[in-house]
Amino acid sequence: MEIRDLRVEFDVPAGRLPAVAGIDLDLRRGELLALVGESGSGKSALSMSLVGLNRGPTAHISGEVRFGGRNLVAASEKELRGVRGRDISVVFQDALAALNPTQKVGDQVAEMIRTHRKVGRRDAWKRAEELLGEVGIANPVQAARAYPHQLSGGMRQRVMIAIGLANDPAVLIADEPTTALDVTIQAQVLKLLKRLQAEHGTTIVLITHDLGVVAEVADRVAVMYAGRVIEQGTRDEVLFHPQHPYTMALLHSVPRVDGPHTDRLPAIAGSPLTGVTRPSGCAFAPRCAFASAGCGDHMPELLRRYGGSGHLDRCLLDEPARGRARAGSDSQAVAP
Amino acid sequence: MNLAVPGSLRTPWMIVKRLAAVPLVMLALATMVFIAMRMLPGSPATSLAVGGGAASQSTAEEIAENEARINEALGLNESLADQYTTFLHDVATLDLGRSFYGGNDITKLLGEALPATIELTIAAMLIAVLIGMVTGVVAALRKDTWIDTTTRAIGTVSFSLPWFALGVLSIVIFGVWLRWLPVIGRIPNALDYHPFTNFVLLDAILQDRPELIWPWIKHLILPATTLALSMAGFITRIVRASVLEVLSDDFVRTARMKGLSGGAILRRHVLRNSSLPIVTVLGLQFGSLLGGSVITETVFSYPGVGNLLINGIMQRDYPIVQGAALAIALLFTLVNVVVDLLYLALDPRLRKA
Repeated sequence: MEIRDLRVEFDVPAGRLPAVAGIDLDLRRGELLALVGESGSGKSALSMSLVGLNRGPTAHISGEVRFGGRNLVAASEKELRGVRGRDISVVFQDALAALNPTQKVGDQVAEMIRTHRKVGRRDAWKRAEELLGEVGIANPVQAARAYPHQLSGGMRQRVMIAIGLANDPAVLIADEPTTALDVTIQAQVLKLLKRLQAEHGTTIVLITHDLGVVAEVADRVAVMYAGRVIEQGTRDEVLFHPQHPYTMALLHSVPRVDGPHTDRLPAIAGSPLTGVTRPSGCAFAPRCAFASAGCGDHMPELLRRYGGSGHLDRCLLDEPARGRARAGSDSQAVAP
Repeated sequence: MNLAVPGSLRTPWMIVKRLAAVPLVMLALATMVFIAMRMLPGSPATSLAVGGGAASQSTAEEIAENEARINEALGLNESLADQYTTFLHDVATLDLGRSFYGGNDITKLLGEALPATIELTIAAMLIAVLIGMVTGVVAALRKDTWIDTTTRAIGTVSFSLPWFALGVLSIVIFGVWLRWLPVIGRIPNALDYHPFTNFVLLDAILQDRPELIWPWIKHLILPATTLALSMAGFITRIVRASVLEVLSDDFVRTARMKGLSGGAILRRHVLRNSSLPIVTVLGLQFGSLLGGSVITETVFSYPGVGNLLINGIMQRDYPIVQGAALAIALLFTLVNVVVDLLYLALDPRLRKA
């Protein structure tokens, strides 16, 4: 899948809100790409627009999502229906809300199968039970007959994943699938995603704001800020050699068990851009401790600058300055 | 595995509990009707004694004498407490007594009138649900277009029209001007209908008389539609709001993610989940529907419980009023038990309580 200059704007009372402000991103077959950013950075808007789930009278989506020889942004709703759930599916974050409360879990999995394949009711139900077993539900036959409210949070999220996998899609978008779960269940669900990636060769886009999750499962990482990717690279590149001051600050704000104990957790000063109007220069400049006059002129291109071959960023700092910034953000006092 | 007990196992117990409350409701209601009737000015005895053809020639003394005799005969000279216990005893043994006028057995009168009213209200309910659901769903799907605005406007108007106005209007238009439909009664005498269950449709099947059905439907259309329209307008609004709410729910997005078509999403996911508030409204509105049936039956001379009730009140015919009120209350209570059961059928989350 290739994403080119994808833009998503929503009509709001104040004007047009650019949720995604021009994104270029390639998905490689079978990889697990983590999409990282604060709330409002556009990661959900980006992923929903890949299959047109945020289409609507107030949404303006432009650019290209090339997949299977066509552009999904320009595809008709009917064409998209054939792609959704079959080639690309989504695992939503709040499984209790995302599952139909009045349908048995087995029916909801079976519906996904029967929407895209000519399968009898009974066979689809059988397959649904198998899928529930495959995602690690201990008693799939019984679980299939349960309603969502009768299952635990972790089991509901597994059901969501079983629905997502039902037609063995090429791409699975997991939108913060572990946010609502406690830590042990979270680890189990991540492990499950990793296993499915390995066994089925599924390409997974994992949306998260949790860098711990990224460190655990991601192959590649794209960091988003104000509707743009500001840095992307392999997991190790981004986590251990961050190039963009925002990524550095994000990493710095992760509390560490072995770090100094302070009364306040480290935070990035200021707040992310949420307004309709955007500055002409780097969107992070107003919050950046290392910004200079040139940062306000124009948004830097997403280019390979000082990192590895696939390690891109949008920052004008030169290499020594980056080194100082990296060292600085580690020793920096807790931001106000 | 953390599975709760499947709800269906507990459901019968809930039904039993709901039904157990019915006698209590009936007792409270019987008591209220008993008191209310006796608080009304005028007594059956006065009404009977004065109402006779010779009354104008009678002297005050003769009237008083008649009243005393009538009171004695009807047991109205006993203390209120005695009357009350007799009444409760009769109700408990399903003996509703006889009409003060003509001495008809009230159980038999109700046996004829109640099926007519049930037919009328159920027909009205079906029409109202059909109109309300369709217009409500269309308005929701075409939100903020002229279709939505028009539908809502018509809904509000029909919701605010009083039954008697609508009834009289439809009689004039469809009965008198256009002569499309009959406007009086339930079934023509010429058809020689011999009631068995008193439900025409059921009797037509049991007695193998299909020719009864069409005249019966023709007689039902105007009163049932009159009764239905205000409820339909109400249902339109509820359905529209409810469908809009469900459409914004996360599981509808999941259904879209699955690649389902708009129609399939509506059928399989939206309608069932948005029908809960509709069912609530049906249960509550059934009360006002019964109230409306009293008026509608009077306007259309339809031989139902409402007609019986009005005549009973006019003549201070206590047993009839008591019997009719009990019958209406029983109907209302039973409908609401059905509504509760519908809830359980529609929403599995309610079954565990």
